[in-house]
Amino acid sequence: MKAVETPSQFLSRTFGLTSAQLERVLGIATGSRDRGAFADIYFQVGTTEGLVFDQGILKNPSRSEVSGAGIRVVIGDKTGYSYTDHVNVRNLTTAARNAATIALHSQVVDPIQVGPQRQQHNLYPLEGILIGLPLPEKVDLLTRIDRECRKYDPRIKNVTVSLAVQDETVVIVTSLGDLILDRRPLIRLSVSCLAEEGSRRETGSSSGGGRLDFAFFLEDDRWKKHALKAAQEAIGLLSAVPAPAGEMTVVLGNGWPGVLIHEAVGHGLEGDFNRKGTSAFSKMIGEKVASDLCTIVDDGTVPGRRGSLNIDDEGVPTGNTVLIEKGVLKGYLQDRTNGSLMRHGSTGNGRRESYRHVPMPRMTNTYLAGGQSTPEEIIRSVKRGLYAVTFGGGQVDITNGDYTFSATSAILIEDGKLTTPVKGATLIGNGPKSLHHVSMVGNDMALDEGTGTCGKRGQSVPVGVGMPTIRIDNVTVGGTSR
Amino acid sequence: MKNDKARLEALAQFVIGEAKRMGATDSDVSIGTWSSVDTTVRLGEVEKLETAAQGRSLSLRVFVGQVVTSASTSDFTRRNLTKLVRGTIALAKAAQPDEYAGLPDKEDLASLVADLDLTDTSISKLSVADKIAMAKSCEDAARAFDERVTNSQGASFSDSLGLTVYANSRGFVGSYSGSRCSLSCSVIAQQGDSMQTDGWSSSNRKLALIGTPESIGNEAARRVLRRLGAVRGKSQEVPVVFDPVMAAQLLGQFAGVAAGGAIYRRTSFLVDKLGEQVACPELTVIDDALIPGGLGSRPFSGEGLAGRQRTIVDNGKLASYFLDSYSARKLGTRPNGGGQSNLYIKPGTKTPEEIIASVKNGLYLTHVSGPGFNGVTGDYSRGASGIWIENGELAHPVQEITIAGNVLDMLKSIEAIGNDLEFRSSVASPTLKIGSMMIAGKQ
Repeated sequence: MKAVETPSQFLSRTFGLTSAQLERVLGIATGSRDRGAFADIYFQVGTTEGLVFDQGILKNPSRSEVSGAGIRVVIGDKTGYSYTDHVNVRNLTTAARNAATIALHSQVVDPIQVGPQRQQHNLYPLEGILIGLPLPEKVDLLTRIDRECRKYDPRIKNVTVSLAVQDETVVIVTSLGDLILDRRPLIRLSVSCLAEEGSRRETGSSSGGGRLDFAFFLEDDRWKKHALKAAQEAIGLLSAVPAPAGEMTVVLGNGWPGVLIHEAVGHGLEGDFNRKGTSAFSKMIGEKVASDLCTIVDDGTVPGRRGSLNIDDEGVPTGNTVLIEKGVLKGYLQDRTNGSLMRHGSTGNGRRESYRHVPMPRMTNTYLAGGQSTPEEIIRSVKRGLYAVTFGGGQVDITNGDYTFSATSAILIEDGKLTTPVKGATLIGNGPKSLHHVSMVGNDMALDEGTGTCGKRGQSVPVGVGMPTIRIDNVTVGGTSR
Repeated sequence: MKNDKARLEALAQFVIGEAKRMGATDSDVSIGTWSSVDTTVRLGEVEKLETAAQGRSLSLRVFVGQVVTSASTSDFTRRNLTKLVRGTIALAKAAQPDEYAGLPDKEDLASLVADLDLTDTSISKLSVADKIAMAKSCEDAARAFDERVTNSQGASFSDSLGLTVYANSRGFVGSYSGSRCSLSCSVIAQQGDSMQTDGWSSSNRKLALIGTPESIGNEAARRVLRRLGAVRGKSQEVPVVFDPVMAAQLLGQFAGVAAGGAIYRRTSFLVDKLGEQVACPELTVIDDALIPGGLGSRPFSGEGLAGRQRTIVDNGKLASYFLDSYSARKLGTRPNGGGQSNLYIKPGTKTPEEIIASVKNGLYLTHVSGPGFNGVTGDYSRGASGIWIENGELAHPVQEITIAGNVLDMLKSIEAIGNDLEFRSSVASPTLKIGSMMIAGKQ
């Protein structure tokens, strides 16, 4: 079985590569070592199976294969990179030569620091075959979800359900002597419902997953929760009124609304922006950037989570990094390059989309830690405001700190009670400023269902977010009604 | 490249032959190969050199009766491809027959592969040193422009050369190559407490047409400097002038809602709107796949449909959707070339300055943020920044506000269309003035 294979056995079986050949390729990449060059090779082999149930039938099942290797040479703050889609000694040698040309533009530098001496985790211990089997069960599940959604309300006119199952193995070889293998399963189920009444149409959606086996969706009828959530949102929106415009108190539900944390502070604390001094958070370590109620961490070690990894994409075991403690800025997220240059070391946050991409500091699972208040008392405390639980996504301008995150639906709070459903609206704030206005933090901290994908410089990686119910004052809500 | 063409067309036909041998009633294959170089300079020094030996990908669609399955791979060995075909056909057991599935009808396929002048061989003659020099000059120009430009996120020159092959089991086989190069620069400016970033870039299929590095660097500097000292705007309802980049983004979102897939799923606010007024009577939207040298040009689509020119919005009336063969069958009509290619709004007569001068109190929009657009309802709510217009003049920068409305209302309330159409990407628009939108900011 693959699970017990060593990295060398895997490379030999998959590509016919020997240890001596790898040594030679790395030698070409680093060139003369006294320049302080670091080199790594990232091998990636995997398959993703996709199933879509749409308009009442199971359509177009698909299978996509990924296989390739990227070679990187780092000298100080300079990076050379090349990749091949067809791994063999000849192509790896060419890629190593290409990547090594960065040396022509470099001075001699201090060598890159060795990563933290942590053990590789075992956060998603799956064995056996994940792809293909049991196909009829998967098809059956999608069919049941479609039926469940339509059963919820006759105004549900279409249901689209998709299931993606990925089984991927990466092997990382570095000039520091690392040779590590990580098998990374990833599953995602997504349900979208269209509701129609008269001339009004609305959609609702729900999705989830993680580094898990497909059986996860069957346990505790998790699939049914997604079906109901999508159908409820679509039906609820049919009677929603326009969202208000202007500053108001906002209560955010637990889980996925933690996308606020990801945008407001997460990106701004990535090491590359801070090394270069381009982040609104640059040089603010030790400063108060949020209210005392806010403690924020990035944790790549939560078992089975979408944003979790045994090792990052540079072979460094992931960690649990405190970013903000009781409102005070504590740390940045680092990969090997930026961690070395800032004399800080990697935090296990070097990630990349694939072997075709250069790694950079990225988030894993980023969340705001739980507090004391119950969600009910938080809602009760608001005279007039907005309660938002479902969100699309967000974006941030790292340099001026402005961030947005977009609610897909919300409910008005009037005199401490949830009253009228309102349409989605974008919320906007400023990273180093807005979290000072977090005035209550709930005791119901939860990570999201496992659905997030984060984009940075054209690279997408799976991430997690999380948050308890919180109250923020003076949030700008981008609705249309006065 | 010529050799690649023949070799990859033969490979596509090999895969189609294997599919037929193993019981597929129809199949088609798309192959893409590319090589690219990306050079990045920051603060005057080389920061990153990315060179790809050769990227490639093959996707396959198999029909077993009315059941469709698909697969993709980058492993082009014949042994692997045979295995892939077998696996793809086996997947058919999982799917259900779809009466609308099938290859396009013969009369909709491209009958000859038009030469659209998409490749510039002079790019491949550039050395890495030449590319670094261009990126350097670009960043140098931006940093030298004004002393308030204090930092840089770097400047990049990148280029790629690719080949696209498509073949199907009804005898279609075609291929074309295309090049692209781009030069971009992003800098930071500081003044007091205000730190801002902005940049500028230029992309073209022809090296000679991307403009001088200095002009791109200067524009990056001009754009970042005008953001310095931005304050929050106030909540109010005002006219919003979309600069050409913002207007093109809005157009792209509109086009997504006109995609055949959104129409037959009824997840679009343009459902049942063909022939109806969806915008001001002066607005005409064209999609043209055959513009020589266009960034979005293509002789045929991903399923071999002939590239053509289509009118999407004709003087404010919705004239057509974007239809591939599947969505056309679902909607009981004929395909019209598939997804968007070069998409643009026909220019009007007013200069951008005249449009700004027509606004007493309003927003000149230069940046939007976040995903806040709902294609099912047309509801639009996004983070925004730009320059406040007072008495017809650009007065001061604003940030941390939102703009909101409904796209259908917004398009109907367009009050002016600029004369400044420029194809900086495959989606292009002149300056647009929207009559009224809700701004949320300070009380």
